[in-house]
Amino acid sequence: MFRNLAAAGSLVVGAALMLAFGAGTASAHHAFAAEFDANKPVKFEKAVVKKMEWVNPHVWIHIEVPQPDGTNEQWAIEAGTPNVLFRRGFTKEALLPGTVIVVEGYRSKDGSRRANGRDLTLSDGRTLFLGSSGTGAPTEKP
Amino acid sequence: MSLHAAMEWLANTEWSIALHESQYAYAVIESIHVWSLCLFVGFAVLLDLRLVGAIFHDVPVSQMARRVLPWTKVGFLVMVVSGIVLFYAIPLRTYHNVFFRIKAVLLILAGLNAFVFHRGIYAKVSHWDLAVPPRPARMAGLWSLVLWAAIIFSGRLIAYNWFDCSKPQPATVTAIAGCTPDMIDPYQ
Repeated sequence: MFRNLAAAGSLVVGAALMLAFGAGTASAHHAFAAEFDANKPVKFEKAVVKKMEWVNPHVWIHIEVPQPDGTNEQWAIEAGTPNVLFRRGFTKEALLPGTVIVVEGYRSKDGSRRANGRDLTLSDGRTLFLGSSGTGAPTEKP
Repeated sequence: MSLHAAMEWLANTEWSIALHESQYAYAVIESIHVWSLCLFVGFAVLLDLRLVGAIFHDVPVSQMARRVLPWTKVGFLVMVVSGIVLFYAIPLRTYHNVFFRIKAVLLILAGLNAFVFHRGIYAKVSHWDLAVPPRPARMAGLWSLVLWAAIIFSGRLIAYNWFDCSKPQPATVTAIAGCTPDMIDPYQ
């Protein structure tokens, strides 16, 4: 019986170790390092908001970035929770389609045009920190 | 109507929108889900460990069950209800999530395991109440421990987007998650 228990225990511990090593090294317990790369910062000087998805657990800002050749690149910027943004003075209606913003963040590890948002600046100079707290994102000072 | 279409419809109902846009409700329900899960698994593990023969050898299995099962039932009920609400808050993405589908299969297996145990060897518990539990009982305890650990892992992993249908995925993932090409978003 104890052999059974030991087997179950080692299965669970083994699975936990696999997860710990597979799912993130920089930040052991949070999503930033699992999905985004702190060494790949991105900055968009003239991004045009297409849509803001005001959803749990993360708000997404969909933008179009004009390219030198006249085309537009589509990017999706992840932000904190609706609650966190609301506390910083943001609402569901704060970013209407067509709003021009400057936005910085860190690109997705999978190479797609997704990024974890850090700072957002509106054309009138107002700024907003987009990250949720405790993500382990490099912008957060311990 | 396909299940995909049903989930799309569900996601656009008033309460689903209210939940996924909510300032507090989503986080509160998530917390309730974790709390009730602790209650359920915490008590279930006691009985499982008794069955595999690790703890409380001198307590009759029937007495363990009688004392522990009411709490596991309370935990289970709250856990299931809060889980359904969490699904309802984000139905479409969750429905197409690999980890959610794995979790659903594991939940069915855990349910079958409990059903077989209670209908089978536990019906004759008076024969082995204080003896070393017979092999089917030990196996039921072991399976419960392993399955519930796996269920918790897969549940937590639902949050990660690695295998979401919004990105191009390997054929196995596409098959398990039921992805279709039109679900790939323009961010690749």
